[in-house]
Amino acid sequence: MIEATGLSKSYGRTRAVDDLSFEVRPGLVTGFLGPNGSGKSTTMRMILGLDRPDAGRVTLDGRRYHDLPWPLREVGALLDANAVHPGRSAHDHLLGLAQSNAIPRGRVDQVLEQVGLDGVAGRRVGKFSLGMSQRLGIASALLGDPAVLLFDEPVNGLDPEGILWVRTLLKSLAAEGRTIFVSSHLMSEMALTATNLVVIGRGTLIADTTVDDFIASNTESTVLVRSPEAGRLTGVLLASGASVDVRPDGGLLVTKASPSDIGDAAHGAGVAIHELSPQQASLEDVFMELTSDSVDFHGASGPAAAL
Amino acid sequence: MTAVVEPVARTRSGRAGVRQAVLSEWTKLRSVRSTWIALVVVLVAGIGLSALVTNIEAGRWSMLGPADRAQFDPVRFSQTGEFISQFVVGVLGALIVTSEYASGSIRTTVATLPRRTTVVAGKGIVIALVIFVVTEITAFVSFFVGQLVLTAHGGRALPAGSSILTQIRSSAIPVVGITDSGALRAVFLCGVYLTMLTLMALGIGFILRHTAGAISLYVGLLLVLPLIVQILPSSLSDPIERYLPSNLGLAMIVVTTRKTDFAGVLLSPWAATATLVLYTTAFVAVGAWVLVRRDA
Repeated sequence: MIEATGLSKSYGRTRAVDDLSFEVRPGLVTGFLGPNGSGKSTTMRMILGLDRPDAGRVTLDGRRYHDLPWPLREVGALLDANAVHPGRSAHDHLLGLAQSNAIPRGRVDQVLEQVGLDGVAGRRVGKFSLGMSQRLGIASALLGDPAVLLFDEPVNGLDPEGILWVRTLLKSLAAEGRTIFVSSHLMSEMALTATNLVVIGRGTLIADTTVDDFIASNTESTVLVRSPEAGRLTGVLLASGASVDVRPDGGLLVTKASPSDIGDAAHGAGVAIHELSPQQASLEDVFMELTSDSVDFHGASGPAAAL
Repeated sequence: MTAVVEPVARTRSGRAGVRQAVLSEWTKLRSVRSTWIALVVVLVAGIGLSALVTNIEAGRWSMLGPADRAQFDPVRFSQTGEFISQFVVGVLGALIVTSEYASGSIRTTVATLPRRTTVVAGKGIVIALVIFVVTEITAFVSFFVGQLVLTAHGGRALPAGSSILTQIRSSAIPVVGITDSGALRAVFLCGVYLTMLTLMALGIGFILRHTAGAISLYVGLLLVLPLIVQILPSSLSDPIERYLPSNLGLAMIVVTTRKTDFAGVLLSPWAATATLVLYTTAFVAVGAWVLVRRDA
């Protein structure tokens, strides 16, 4: 269980995290979602006691990270997969970590095997691909068999097979009753992995909910309608209380009316319909909609460029 | 595919402390190639340069007047390799800190040992022990090699009961034994000097966090600071000069100069050692303070 209360952190005049409160419960994968630069990594660092909050506190099962006597046995973290001395072998890197918390040597080989790096245990980390480094980072998080695991963008740089592997791993770790907190700027990735969501933008909390509720409560159903008499149909629909947006290609985007409402109205008015298709707002759309105000730097081509 | 995971006890008495930090830092130090390269350079260049300089100085003996012969220091010449070694050990001391900042792995280190002074203690103990052992071996081997070189140039052991401090008018190059007139002290303190400098560089590494900056400051303290002090009027420079790190090192290693025109310019060997320990403690303490206070 991770509990953050009123966390705030500024760097110079930049407010990275602003009065952030949330809970991460055990037995589930909780996604930590926000655009790049929204304060996810800062929050992760504060959880691990690396950065000191200006205000507020964050605890792990009621204790501050700093007060954990053997931190690696309780909390595992992957912050930056490349934060490893390039000249050291994977085995020695993990051995040094294990010794720092009196973790039995045998765990090194076990976690190497678990992440599929046992064949390259003796190879220098500098020669690793990004995907291999990511696996090594995950191995170091698992080393102390901890109840709480933090992963900052764990699928970065992984191939599709690797991504699938991480998803499965995260879910199985959660199923063992562990607390899993995974950050990502990719909504679609979270939708496939996480059960709960903590969404932030510009350092403030946007949502703390389940993935399902997040979609349901933020999606407005839209229906695309095409008709040879679009003009007349628009009048009919507006009269029935729906809102209509006319697309450049002549299609009508109708909200505040279900497909059956629209079909009935058209039938009643004797207007032919050539297309009637419900538009599913993607999670990406919902996320972009919610965080568009809090993205610091918009690309020239609009918010989508920030992804 | 997944192995049966041996459970790691979540609870365990005590807490991760200096013992764990030392074990972990030793693994980190020994598992990178640059450590071994640096240590071999200290050993080989240290002994080699000492032998070379001793050879040159011995070759000049016949041209020296009585005053210069009085200052001829068979111990000091055998330790001249420290001039190179001080930079190698300094780079190593700074690098074991700044390389972690460069890669970002300092965050991992600090997360494994959240009581951050433990991190400083672990790194300090490991690097100090390793450098102490290697530099003492280098110093003693250099001493004996140096005396062999002097003997080869016709040097002769001092008569029993005399000392290079009193025996000035010898016509032969003096060759000393390790138990003669301060030789043991000088050779031993050569290793101490280099060990203290290593720890000073470690402290600088924690303070500045960048390899280039830390090494620049370290080299500046040893090479540039003396030049600046020399430019000052002697009324200003005289009281400062003896406290420069490089002159503390000289005071720890020289034997004969005490009775000549250098007398009074350098501190006594043990006062110099105490001063250097004080500097080192200050740098390490500030480094530890910075590590504890600043965000990692």
